[in-house]
Amino acid sequence: MEIRIGSRDELPQLARQVLAFAERQNKKVLFFYGELGAGKTTLIQHLCRVLGSQDLVSSPTFSLINEYAYRDEKGREQIICHMDLYRLKSLAEALDIGLEEYLAAGHWCFVEWPQLIEPLLSDEEVLKVSIEEEGTSVRKIVLL
Amino acid sequence: MSIYLLAIESSCDDTSAAVIRDGEVLSNVTAGQEEHRAYGGVVPEVASRAHFQQIIPVVDLALERASVKKEQLSALAFTRGPGLLGSLLVGVTFAKAMALSLRIPLIEVHHLQAHVLAHFAEEPKPSFPFLCLTVSGGHTQMVLVRAPLDMEVLGQTLDDAAGEAFDKAGRMMGLPYPAGPEIDRLARQGTARFSFPEPKIRGLDFSFSGVKTAIRYFLRDETAKNPNFIEENLADIAASVQERIVSILLSKIKRAARETAISEIAIAGGVSANSGLRKALQREGEKRGWQVYIPRLEYCTDNAAMIGIAAYYKYLAGEFCGQDVSPEVRWAL
Repeated sequence: MEIRIGSRDELPQLARQVLAFAERQNKKVLFFYGELGAGKTTLIQHLCRVLGSQDLVSSPTFSLINEYAYRDEKGREQIICHMDLYRLKSLAEALDIGLEEYLAAGHWCFVEWPQLIEPLLSDEEVLKVSIEEEGTSVRKIVLL
Repeated sequence: MSIYLLAIESSCDDTSAAVIRDGEVLSNVTAGQEEHRAYGGVVPEVASRAHFQQIIPVVDLALERASVKKEQLSALAFTRGPGLLGSLLVGVTFAKAMALSLRIPLIEVHHLQAHVLAHFAEEPKPSFPFLCLTVSGGHTQMVLVRAPLDMEVLGQTLDDAAGEAFDKAGRMMGLPYPAGPEIDRLARQGTARFSFPEPKIRGLDFSFSGVKTAIRYFLRDETAKNPNFIEENLADIAASVQERIVSILLSKIKRAARETAISEIAIAGGVSANSGLRKALQREGEKRGWQVYIPRLEYCTDNAAMIGIAAYYKYLAGEFCGQDVSPEVRWAL
Protein backbone atom coordinates (compact mmCIF):
# COMPACT_ATOMS: atom_id res chain seq x y z
CA MET A 1 0.00 0.00 0.00
CA GLU A 2 1.19 3.51 -0.80
CA ILE A 3 0.18 6.69 1.00
CA ARG A 4 1.31 10.23 0.21
CA ILE A 5 1.18 13.04 2.73
CA GLY A 6 1.88 16.71 2.04
CA SER A 7 2.19 18.09 5.56
CA ARG A 8 2.71 17.18 9.20
CA ASP A 9 -1.00 17.77 9.85
CA GLU A 10 -1.72 14.51 8.06
CA LEU A 11 0.46 12.48 10.45
CA PRO A 12 -2.30 11.46 12.93
CA GLN A 13 -4.42 10.15 10.06
CA LEU A 14 -1.41 8.36 8.55
CA ALA A 15 -0.61 6.77 11.93
CA ARG A 16 -4.17 5.42 12.18
CA GLN A 17 -3.91 3.98 8.66
CA VAL A 18 -0.58 2.30 9.39
CA LEU A 19 -1.85 0.71 12.61
CA ALA A 20 -5.09 -0.45 10.95
CA PHE A 21 -3.07 -2.00 8.12
CA ALA A 22 -0.80 -3.79 10.61
CA GLU A 23 -3.74 -5.06 12.65
CA ARG A 24 -5.48 -6.43 9.56
CA GLN A 25 -2.35 -8.46 8.85
CA ASN A 26 -1.95 -9.42 12.50
CA LYS A 27 1.51 -7.89 12.70
CA LYS A 28 2.93 -6.06 15.69
CA VAL A 29 6.54 -5.68 14.62
CA LEU A 30 7.14 -2.73 12.29
CA PHE A 31 10.45 -1.98 10.59
CA PHE A 32 11.04 1.60 9.50
CA TYR A 33 13.19 2.55 6.53
CA GLY A 34 14.19 6.03 5.44
CA GLU A 35 17.16 8.33 5.51
CA LEU A 36 18.31 10.41 8.47
CA GLY A 37 15.69 13.14 8.86
CA ALA A 38 13.02 11.39 6.75
CA GLY A 39 10.65 11.34 9.72
CA LYS A 40 10.86 7.82 11.18
CA THR A 41 10.87 8.95 14.82
CA THR A 42 8.15 11.52 14.11
CA LEU A 43 5.85 8.89 12.63
CA ILE A 44 6.54 6.59 15.59
CA GLN A 45 5.59 9.43 17.97
CA HIS A 46 2.21 9.57 16.25
CA LEU A 47 1.76 5.78 16.30
CA CYS A 48 2.32 5.83 20.07
CA ARG A 49 -0.23 8.63 20.51
CA VAL A 50 -2.82 6.73 18.50
CA LEU A 51 -2.19 3.64 20.65
CA GLY A 52 -2.90 5.85 23.68
CA SER A 53 0.54 6.29 25.21
CA GLN A 54 1.14 9.60 26.98
CA ASP A 55 4.86 8.91 27.40
CA LEU A 56 7.47 11.13 25.82
CA VAL A 57 8.64 9.42 22.64
CA SER A 58 12.24 10.34 21.87
CA SER A 59 14.98 8.95 19.71
CA PRO A 60 16.63 5.80 21.13
CA THR A 61 19.87 6.10 19.16
CA PHE A 62 21.98 6.04 22.33
CA SER A 63 19.66 4.12 24.62
CA LEU A 64 18.95 1.52 21.84
CA ILE A 65 15.57 0.53 23.29
CA ASN A 66 12.91 2.83 24.75
CA GLU A 67 9.76 1.48 26.33
CA TYR A 68 6.49 3.37 26.51
CA ALA A 69 3.32 2.41 28.37
CA TYR A 70 -0.31 2.51 27.27
CA ARG A 71 -3.58 0.89 28.26
CA ASP A 72 -5.30 -1.45 25.85
CA GLU A 73 -9.08 -1.47 25.27
CA LYS A 74 -9.50 -3.72 28.34
CA GLY A 75 -7.59 -1.25 30.50
CA ARG A 76 -4.51 -3.45 30.92
CA GLU A 77 -1.12 -1.81 30.87
CA GLN A 78 0.90 -2.73 27.79
CA ILE A 79 4.26 -1.63 26.52
CA ILE A 80 5.52 -0.38 23.20
CA CYS A 81 9.18 -1.01 22.29
CA HIS A 82 10.93 1.63 20.25
CA MET A 83 14.35 0.60 18.97
CA ASP A 84 17.07 2.24 16.96
CA LEU A 85 19.74 -0.19 15.83
CA TYR A 86 21.95 2.29 14.01
CA ARG A 87 24.92 1.87 16.31
CA LEU A 88 24.85 -1.93 16.40
CA LYS A 89 27.47 -3.62 14.27
CA SER A 90 26.34 -7.24 14.09
CA LEU A 91 23.38 -9.54 14.60
CA ALA A 92 25.22 -11.07 17.56
CA GLU A 93 25.17 -7.70 19.31
CA ALA A 94 21.44 -7.41 18.74
CA LEU A 95 20.90 -10.80 20.34
CA ASP A 96 23.21 -9.88 23.20
CA ILE A 97 21.05 -6.93 24.29
CA GLY A 98 18.02 -9.21 24.41
CA LEU A 99 16.36 -7.94 21.28
CA GLU A 100 14.85 -11.29 20.35
CA GLU A 101 12.94 -11.44 23.63
CA TYR A 102 11.45 -8.03 22.93
CA LEU A 103 10.39 -9.04 19.41
CA ALA A 104 8.82 -12.29 20.59
CA ALA A 105 6.98 -10.81 23.58
CA GLY A 106 3.94 -9.72 21.57
CA HIS A 107 4.44 -6.00 22.23
CA TRP A 108 4.16 -3.40 19.53
CA CYS A 109 7.78 -3.06 18.35
CA PHE A 110 8.79 -0.10 16.21
CA VAL A 111 12.31 -0.57 14.88
CA GLU A 112 14.43 2.10 13.18
CA TRP A 113 17.51 1.02 11.17
CA PRO A 114 16.39 -2.64 11.28
CA GLN A 115 18.60 -3.96 8.45
CA LEU A 116 20.80 -5.96 10.81
CA ILE A 117 17.94 -7.97 12.30
CA GLU A 118 16.02 -8.68 9.10
CA PRO A 119 17.17 -12.35 9.17
CA LEU A 120 15.44 -12.85 12.54
CA LEU A 121 11.90 -12.50 11.22
CA SER A 122 10.04 -13.68 8.16
CA ASP A 123 8.02 -11.37 5.92
CA GLU A 124 4.83 -12.76 7.47
CA GLU A 125 5.88 -11.43 10.86
CA VAL A 126 6.95 -7.90 9.95
CA LEU A 127 5.32 -4.87 8.41
CA LYS A 128 7.92 -2.85 6.54
CA VAL A 129 7.27 0.88 6.48
CA SER A 130 9.44 2.88 4.17
CA ILE A 131 9.41 6.66 4.13
CA GLU A 132 10.58 8.29 0.93
CA GLU A 133 10.96 12.00 0.39
CA GLU A 134 9.42 13.66 -2.63
CA GLY A 135 10.41 17.27 -2.21
CA THR A 136 10.83 19.01 1.12
CA SER A 137 7.45 18.37 2.72
CA VAL A 138 5.93 15.54 0.68
CA ARG A 139 6.49 11.99 1.92
CA LYS A 140 5.58 8.74 0.21
CA ILE A 141 4.93 5.97 2.70
CA VAL A 142 5.07 2.42 1.40
CA LEU A 143 3.71 -0.45 3.48
CA LEU A 144 4.94 -3.92 2.60
CA MET B 1 32.12 7.37 62.60
CA SER B 2 32.65 7.91 58.89
CA ILE B 3 30.18 6.74 56.27
CA TYR B 4 31.82 4.68 53.53
CA LEU B 5 29.84 3.95 50.38
CA LEU B 6 30.69 1.79 47.39
CA ALA B 7 28.81 2.96 44.28
CA ILE B 8 28.29 1.11 41.00
CA GLU B 9 27.18 2.54 37.66
CA SER B 10 26.34 0.33 34.66
CA SER B 11 23.35 1.97 33.01
CA CYS B 12 24.70 2.15 29.48
CA ASP B 13 28.18 1.71 28.09
CA ASP B 14 30.62 2.17 30.97
CA THR B 15 31.28 0.02 34.01
CA SER B 16 32.28 2.24 36.90
CA ALA B 17 32.83 1.92 40.65
CA ALA B 18 33.63 4.56 43.25
CA VAL B 19 34.27 4.81 46.97
CA ILE B 20 32.87 7.79 48.84
CA ARG B 21 33.69 8.75 52.46
CA ASP B 22 31.32 11.26 54.07
CA GLY B 23 30.43 12.70 50.69
CA GLU B 24 34.03 12.94 49.50
CA VAL B 25 35.21 10.93 46.49
CA LEU B 26 38.14 8.66 47.44
CA SER B 27 38.26 6.77 44.14
CA ASN B 28 36.39 6.71 40.84
CA VAL B 29 37.30 3.96 38.39
CA THR B 30 35.70 3.66 34.97
CA ALA B 31 36.57 0.77 32.70
CA GLY B 32 35.71 -0.07 29.15
CA GLN B 33 36.36 3.21 27.47
CA GLU B 34 39.68 2.11 26.01
CA GLU B 35 38.08 -1.03 24.74
CA HIS B 36 35.28 0.94 23.06
CA ARG B 37 37.74 3.23 21.37
CA ALA B 38 39.57 0.24 19.93
CA TYR B 39 36.29 -0.85 18.36
CA GLY B 40 35.64 2.59 16.86
CA GLY B 41 32.89 3.69 19.19
CA VAL B 42 30.61 2.39 21.88
CA VAL B 43 29.61 -1.10 20.90
CA PRO B 44 26.74 -2.42 22.98
CA GLU B 45 27.81 -6.03 22.71
CA VAL B 46 31.23 -5.12 23.98
CA ALA B 47 29.62 -2.92 26.61
CA SER B 48 27.22 -5.58 27.80
CA ARG B 49 29.84 -8.30 28.06
CA ALA B 50 32.34 -5.82 29.39
CA HIS B 51 30.06 -4.98 32.33
CA PHE B 52 30.08 -8.62 33.23
CA GLN B 53 33.81 -9.09 32.85
CA GLN B 54 34.85 -5.78 34.34
CA ILE B 55 32.64 -5.29 37.34
CA ILE B 56 34.75 -7.30 39.79
CA PRO B 57 38.15 -5.87 38.72
CA VAL B 58 36.69 -2.35 38.67
CA VAL B 59 35.24 -2.72 42.18
CA ASP B 60 38.52 -4.20 43.46
CA LEU B 61 40.48 -1.34 41.97
CA ALA B 62 38.12 1.30 43.39
CA LEU B 63 38.48 -0.18 46.90
CA GLU B 64 42.25 -0.49 46.54
CA ARG B 65 42.73 3.09 45.30
CA ALA B 66 40.59 4.36 48.17
CA SER B 67 42.53 2.17 50.64
CA VAL B 68 39.20 0.93 51.96
CA LYS B 69 38.38 -2.67 52.87
CA LYS B 70 34.98 -3.99 51.91
CA GLU B 71 34.28 -4.74 55.59
CA GLN B 72 34.42 -0.97 56.26
CA LEU B 73 31.55 -0.20 53.87
CA SER B 74 28.39 1.29 55.38
CA ALA B 75 26.14 0.73 52.35
CA LEU B 76 26.16 -0.23 48.68
CA ALA B 77 24.78 2.10 46.03
CA PHE B 78 23.88 1.34 42.43
CA THR B 79 22.18 2.87 39.40
CA ARG B 80 18.64 1.46 39.23
CA GLY B 81 17.74 3.28 35.99
CA PRO B 82 16.93 4.60 33.53
CA GLY B 83 19.08 2.67 31.09
CA LEU B 84 19.48 -0.46 29.06
CA LEU B 85 18.01 -3.49 30.84
CA GLY B 86 20.93 -5.87 30.20
CA SER B 87 23.50 -3.34 31.37
CA LEU B 88 21.56 -2.28 34.46
CA LEU B 89 21.00 -5.90 35.48
CA VAL B 90 24.72 -6.53 35.88
CA GLY B 91 25.16 -3.62 38.30
CA VAL B 92 21.92 -4.21 40.23
CA THR B 93 22.57 -7.92 40.68
CA PHE B 94 26.17 -7.38 41.70
CA ALA B 95 25.21 -4.70 44.25
CA LYS B 96 22.48 -6.87 45.75
CA ALA B 97 24.77 -9.87 46.10
CA MET B 98 27.61 -7.87 47.62
CA ALA B 99 25.31 -6.05 50.06
CA LEU B 100 23.76 -9.35 51.10
CA SER B 101 27.14 -10.95 51.74
CA LEU B 102 28.35 -7.96 53.76
CA ARG B 103 24.99 -7.54 55.55
CA ILE B 104 24.83 -3.84 54.69
CA PRO B 105 21.94 -1.80 53.26
CA LEU B 106 21.34 -1.00 49.60
CA ILE B 107 20.73 2.43 48.08
CA GLU B 108 19.10 2.78 44.65
CA VAL B 109 20.06 5.84 42.62
CA HIS B 110 18.40 7.56 39.69
CA HIS B 111 20.99 8.08 36.97
CA LEU B 112 19.82 11.61 36.05
CA GLN B 113 19.58 12.74 39.66
CA ALA B 114 23.18 11.59 40.03
CA HIS B 115 24.31 13.60 36.97
CA VAL B 116 22.97 16.73 38.69
CA LEU B 117 24.56 15.84 42.03
CA ALA B 118 27.96 15.30 40.36
CA HIS B 119 28.38 19.01 41.11
CA PHE B 120 28.84 18.10 44.77
CA ALA B 121 31.86 15.91 44.12
CA GLU B 122 34.16 18.94 44.22
CA GLU B 123 34.31 22.66 45.03
CA PRO B 124 32.88 25.02 43.96
CA LYS B 125 29.43 23.63 44.71
CA PRO B 126 26.27 25.42 43.58
CA SER B 127 23.94 26.77 46.26
CA PHE B 128 20.25 25.87 46.34
CA PRO B 129 18.11 26.47 44.46
CA PHE B 130 20.00 26.12 41.18
CA LEU B 131 19.27 25.22 37.57
CA CYS B 132 21.03 22.31 35.94
CA LEU B 133 21.01 21.53 32.24
CA THR B 134 21.86 17.83 31.81
CA VAL B 135 23.06 17.21 28.26
CA SER B 136 24.37 13.90 26.95
CA GLY B 137 23.97 11.40 24.14
CA GLY B 138 20.77 10.06 25.63
CA HIS B 139 19.38 12.99 27.63
CA THR B 140 18.62 16.70 27.47
CA GLN B 141 16.85 18.03 30.56
CA MET B 142 16.45 21.33 32.36
CA VAL B 143 16.21 20.61 36.06
CA LEU B 144 15.29 22.90 38.94
CA VAL B 145 17.20 21.67 42.00
CA ARG B 146 15.73 22.83 45.33
CA ALA B 147 17.70 20.40 47.52
CA PRO B 148 19.84 17.31 46.89
CA LEU B 149 16.77 15.07 46.81
CA ASP B 150 14.22 17.61 45.60
CA MET B 151 14.37 18.16 41.83
CA GLU B 152 11.85 19.12 39.20
CA VAL B 153 12.22 18.66 35.44
CA LEU B 154 11.24 21.96 33.83
CA GLY B 155 11.81 20.85 30.26
CA GLN B 156 13.31 18.12 28.14
CA THR B 157 13.88 17.10 24.57
CA LEU B 158 10.87 16.14 22.50
CA ASP B 159 12.94 14.16 19.98
CA ASP B 160 16.74 13.87 19.75
CA ALA B 161 19.10 14.52 22.67
CA ALA B 162 21.73 17.25 22.20
CA GLY B 163 24.55 14.69 21.96
CA GLU B 164 22.57 12.84 19.35
CA ALA B 165 22.07 16.04 17.34
CA PHE B 166 25.86 16.47 17.23
CA ASP B 167 26.33 12.85 16.24
CA LYS B 168 23.69 12.84 13.51
CA ALA B 169 25.01 16.08 12.01
CA GLY B 170 28.45 14.46 12.02
CA ARG B 171 27.14 11.39 10.27
CA MET B 172 25.75 13.56 7.47
CA MET B 173 29.15 15.24 7.19
CA GLY B 174 30.83 11.85 6.89
CA LEU B 175 32.51 12.00 10.31
CA PRO B 176 33.11 8.79 12.28
CA TYR B 177 31.02 7.88 15.35
CA PRO B 178 30.90 9.43 17.90
CA ALA B 179 31.05 12.71 16.03
CA GLY B 180 30.56 15.20 18.89
CA PRO B 181 34.23 15.63 19.88
CA GLU B 182 35.27 15.81 16.21
CA ILE B 183 32.73 18.56 15.47
CA ASP B 184 34.05 20.45 18.50
CA ARG B 185 37.63 20.12 17.23
CA LEU B 186 36.74 21.18 13.66
CA ALA B 187 34.53 24.03 14.87
CA ARG B 188 37.52 25.72 16.50
CA GLN B 189 39.13 26.04 13.04
CA GLY B 190 36.00 27.28 11.28
CA THR B 191 33.59 30.18 11.09
CA ALA B 192 29.87 29.77 11.72
CA ARG B 193 28.88 31.37 8.43
CA PHE B 194 26.00 29.01 7.53
CA SER B 195 22.78 29.52 9.36
CA PHE B 196 20.24 26.88 10.34
CA PRO B 197 16.81 27.87 11.64
CA GLU B 198 16.22 27.99 15.38
CA PRO B 199 13.25 25.79 16.31
CA LYS B 200 10.28 27.50 17.90
CA ILE B 201 9.49 25.24 20.81
CA ARG B 202 7.32 26.62 23.56
CA GLY B 203 8.39 26.68 27.19
CA LEU B 204 11.53 24.92 28.32
CA ASP B 205 11.35 21.86 26.10
CA PHE B 206 13.93 21.21 23.41
CA SER B 207 13.79 19.91 19.86
CA PHE B 208 16.67 19.07 17.57
CA SER B 209 14.98 17.16 14.77
CA GLY B 210 14.13 20.30 12.77
CA VAL B 211 17.76 21.41 12.84
CA LYS B 212 18.83 17.93 11.77
CA THR B 213 16.51 18.08 8.77
CA ALA B 214 17.63 21.62 7.89
CA ILE B 215 21.28 20.56 7.92
CA ARG B 216 20.43 17.62 5.74
CA TYR B 217 18.66 19.68 3.07
CA PHE B 218 21.39 22.30 3.19
CA LEU B 219 24.11 19.70 2.59
CA ARG B 220 22.07 18.03 -0.14
CA ASP B 221 21.45 21.27 -2.02
CA GLU B 222 25.03 22.52 -1.71
CA THR B 223 26.47 19.13 -2.73
CA ALA B 224 24.25 19.19 -5.83
CA LYS B 225 25.94 22.45 -6.85
CA ASN B 226 29.43 21.42 -5.78
CA PRO B 227 30.16 17.72 -5.09
CA ASN B 228 33.14 18.67 -2.90
CA PHE B 229 31.17 21.16 -0.81
CA ILE B 230 31.39 19.17 2.43
CA GLU B 231 35.13 18.47 2.25
CA GLU B 232 35.95 22.03 1.21
CA ASN B 233 33.89 23.61 4.00
CA LEU B 234 34.10 20.99 6.74
CA ALA B 235 35.34 23.31 9.51
CA ASP B 236 32.79 26.03 8.71
CA ILE B 237 29.95 23.52 8.60
CA ALA B 238 31.07 22.10 11.96
CA ALA B 239 31.26 25.60 13.46
CA SER B 240 27.78 26.43 12.14
CA VAL B 241 26.25 23.19 13.45
CA GLN B 242 27.86 23.67 16.85
CA GLU B 243 26.79 27.28 17.08
CA ARG B 244 23.17 26.39 16.39
CA ILE B 245 23.00 23.48 18.87
CA VAL B 246 24.71 25.57 21.55
CA SER B 247 22.42 28.54 20.89
CA ILE B 248 19.33 26.33 21.34
CA LEU B 249 20.66 25.13 24.69
CA LEU B 250 21.65 28.61 25.77
CA SER B 251 18.36 30.25 24.87
CA LYS B 252 16.53 27.74 27.09
CA ILE B 253 18.96 28.35 29.94
CA LYS B 254 18.31 32.10 29.62
CA ARG B 255 14.59 31.51 29.64
CA ALA B 256 14.75 29.19 32.65
CA ALA B 257 16.91 31.68 34.56
CA ARG B 258 14.47 34.47 33.77
CA GLU B 259 11.36 32.49 34.69
CA THR B 260 12.74 31.14 37.96
CA ALA B 261 14.84 34.21 38.85
CA ILE B 262 17.70 31.85 39.64
CA SER B 263 21.26 32.82 38.77
CA GLU B 264 23.08 29.68 39.94
CA ILE B 265 23.49 27.81 36.64
CA ALA B 266 25.04 24.36 36.20
CA ILE B 267 25.56 21.99 33.32
CA ALA B 268 26.08 18.23 33.53
CA GLY B 269 26.40 15.21 31.25
CA GLY B 270 28.86 14.32 28.49
CA VAL B 271 28.00 17.24 26.18
CA SER B 272 29.20 19.64 28.91
CA ALA B 273 32.64 18.78 27.56
CA ASN B 274 31.82 20.73 24.38
CA SER B 275 34.09 23.77 24.30
CA GLY B 276 31.55 25.88 22.40
CA LEU B 277 28.92 25.29 25.09
CA ARG B 278 31.39 25.98 27.91
CA LYS B 279 32.56 29.24 26.34
CA ALA B 280 29.07 30.47 25.48
CA LEU B 281 27.83 29.70 29.00
CA GLN B 282 30.79 31.45 30.66
CA ARG B 283 30.30 34.49 28.44
CA GLU B 284 26.57 34.66 29.10
CA GLY B 285 27.21 34.19 32.82
CA GLU B 286 29.61 37.10 32.97
CA LYS B 287 27.14 39.27 31.09
CA ARG B 288 24.20 38.40 33.31
CA GLY B 289 25.92 37.95 36.64
CA TRP B 290 25.28 34.19 36.86
CA GLN B 291 27.39 31.82 38.90
CA VAL B 292 28.26 29.11 36.37
CA TYR B 293 29.23 25.55 37.37
CA ILE B 294 30.80 23.04 34.98
CA PRO B 295 32.14 19.81 36.50
CA ARG B 296 35.42 18.27 35.47
CA LEU B 297 35.05 15.92 32.50
CA GLU B 298 35.56 12.88 34.74
CA TYR B 299 32.31 13.78 36.51
CA CYS B 300 30.42 14.82 33.35
CA THR B 301 30.46 11.50 31.54
CA ASP B 302 28.82 8.46 33.14
CA ASN B 303 30.70 7.64 36.34
CA ALA B 304 30.10 5.96 39.69
CA ALA B 305 31.34 8.89 41.80
CA MET B 306 28.14 10.79 41.05
CA ILE B 307 26.12 7.71 42.04
CA GLY B 308 28.03 7.67 45.32
CA ILE B 309 27.43 11.37 45.95
CA ALA B 310 23.70 10.96 45.33
CA ALA B 311 23.71 7.88 47.55
CA TYR B 312 25.39 9.82 50.36
CA TYR B 313 22.44 12.23 50.50
CA LYS B 314 20.03 9.31 50.43
CA TYR B 315 21.98 7.63 53.24
CA LEU B 316 21.67 10.76 55.37
CA ALA B 317 17.94 10.84 54.60
CA GLY B 318 17.60 7.15 55.49
CA GLU B 319 16.42 6.20 51.99
CA PHE B 320 17.37 2.56 51.54
CA CYS B 321 15.84 -0.16 49.37
CA GLY B 322 15.24 -3.87 49.81
CA GLN B 323 16.72 -6.96 48.18
CA ASP B 324 13.60 -7.22 45.99
CA VAL B 325 14.66 -4.19 43.91
CA SER B 326 14.98 -4.62 40.13
CA PRO B 327 16.17 -2.33 37.31
CA GLU B 328 13.85 0.45 36.17
CA VAL B 329 14.37 0.89 32.44
CA ARG B 330 11.92 3.79 32.12
CA TRP B 331 12.15 6.03 35.16
CA ALA B 332 11.12 9.66 35.17
CA LEU B 333 13.09 11.99 37.43
